[in-house]
Amino acid sequence: MNWIYKGKCWKFGDNLGIDGDVMPLRFALERELDPAVLSPYLMAGVDPEFPNKVSPGDIIVAGKRFGQGNPHIQGFLGIVGHGLGLVAESIPRGSFRNAINAGLPFLTGCDGVTGDVETGDDLEINFETGEFVNLSRDITRQFQPLDSQLQAIIEAGGWHANLENRIAKLRSGESAMT
Amino acid sequence: MGKTITEKILSRVTGSDVSAGDIIYPEPELLTVHDWYVVNFDKALQELGVERLYNPDILVISTDHEPVAVSPQAAERQKLVREIVKKYGIKNFFDTGRGGHGHVFPVEMGFVKPGMFVEAYDVHVTNFGAVGALAIPVLIEITEVLACGSVWLRTPDTVRVNLTGALSPGTSIRDVAQKLICDLGAARVDYAVVEFGGPALASIDIAGRHILCNTPIEVGVKSALIEPDQSTLDYLAGRVDGPIELIASDPDAVFREVIDYDLDVMEPQVAVPPTPDCVVGVSEVAGRPVHHAFIGSCAAANLSDLQQAAAILRGHKIHPDVRFIITPGTQEIMAAAEDEGLLRLFAEAGAMITQPGCGPCAGGRIGGMANGETSINTGTRNDYGRLGAPDADIYLGSSATVMASAVAGKITDPREFLS
Repeated sequence: MNWIYKGKCWKFGDNLGIDGDVMPLRFALERELDPAVLSPYLMAGVDPEFPNKVSPGDIIVAGKRFGQGNPHIQGFLGIVGHGLGLVAESIPRGSFRNAINAGLPFLTGCDGVTGDVETGDDLEINFETGEFVNLSRDITRQFQPLDSQLQAIIEAGGWHANLENRIAKLRSGESAMT
Repeated sequence: MGKTITEKILSRVTGSDVSAGDIIYPEPELLTVHDWYVVNFDKALQELGVERLYNPDILVISTDHEPVAVSPQAAERQKLVREIVKKYGIKNFFDTGRGGHGHVFPVEMGFVKPGMFVEAYDVHVTNFGAVGALAIPVLIEITEVLACGSVWLRTPDTVRVNLTGALSPGTSIRDVAQKLICDLGAARVDYAVVEFGGPALASIDIAGRHILCNTPIEVGVKSALIEPDQSTLDYLAGRVDGPIELIASDPDAVFREVIDYDLDVMEPQVAVPPTPDCVVGVSEVAGRPVHHAFIGSCAAANLSDLQQAAAILRGHKIHPDVRFIITPGTQEIMAAAEDEGLLRLFAEAGAMITQPGCGPCAGGRIGGMANGETSINTGTRNDYGRLGAPDADIYLGSSATVMASAVAGKITDPREFLS
């Protein structure tokens, strides 16, 4: 898996709601889990044109409490559907779990990161090591990467794919801890 | 460095040195799933090609959310659940009429021990903390636990609550528990385990400890547990096989916060719509007419709740404008209530008595509300729609407050009946 994302920055503020801002609530109620269905509606509540503007490898940089609200996974699957990465100042714990389970490469706990970027900046993020570079402004920062066991779930492609791997390992008699 | 009870339990079950923040794959020693998710997990396992559970012997399944099938669909689901239980060889199946509420009877029957690690498909499994177990809710990822034995957990840190003082007359632990989650607030305890101890703990029985461990989940804790003590040992004697070991946090354990909390909350407390942590003194809402009242749910499932209600009800009738439902937590509690003459008292006063389980609190499938009505009850939550109708107001209180209100036909301070 390629953990290094090189692309444009898309900057958002604090308290983006997972339902409404990031993804219309109806998809959570319909239990839609297909990234291809969800991705055309990403950020519909704050920028309906967003899905037409982004390219794979771009990075969403958000403020505090990204994905707040009832922990629904659909918004994160929408981000995965576009091949984007996420860097946030904080993510509430229910959404943190969903971001892992959606297989999304992300960094969280990145205090003050929204002060280091503007939309359109060229970024290079290593989600495996936590190295953050704003090429446009010559800013380099080192953030805490995710625990290696959580990176393993993302590398597998998210919760469901990781679960399939664990089941296969159990069948073949291997340890299936991750 | 010292460890909290939670860190000790998770260190033991993983065989490693676990501290708050660590990502681990702990295998539960007890797993519970209720009747509304059995068909779902079976479907998920079938899609994954899993035909055997990782450990069927630790699984307890209870028919508590809808024990009396009141629709053809419910009867079909119950039939499917029975077939699925047989298919996977699940021994500990407590069908309707057998156990009762799945957050209560496993404690009563000795499935739960101090220091045990439990996971469950349902948030209120935190009740098992009443005897010092660490019980963590897992939702759809329960499929992974069933298939592979574990799922990842970020080890929670702990907020220690030292209970002090004594209850003021006419109040109960339910009043304390409601006021506590209001006073703590969501931000202070988010993702923490709330660990109760302190000098006043000895005065609180196992029923009260169930309530203390039940309410904090409403403000986003990961779990809640009691530091087990002599009362725990006394309660479990004769219920649990084998040795029981007490467990406590080390003196130098690292807590997120240590809080002293006085049991004297001055007056009975009522949660007002729309969330359980919107709590006021009963005097602020007294006089509001009620149409619906019930005592039951995993937040008020024990015999002492029925006893507290009976002390208010004796010599009175349910108000003509109120329908009142009693849901004993378990078969054992229902039988004990019969022995004490409580069922007769409730029946003669005009109460409906339901099959043990969740009662109306499970979405109002039985004994729900109509739009425009007001209920006061001992359920776990008061979101709009919790008891069926979306436009119905739900207040939560102690068994005594609910009983007094059902008799008076309006929200009432139970101390008026006790003086």
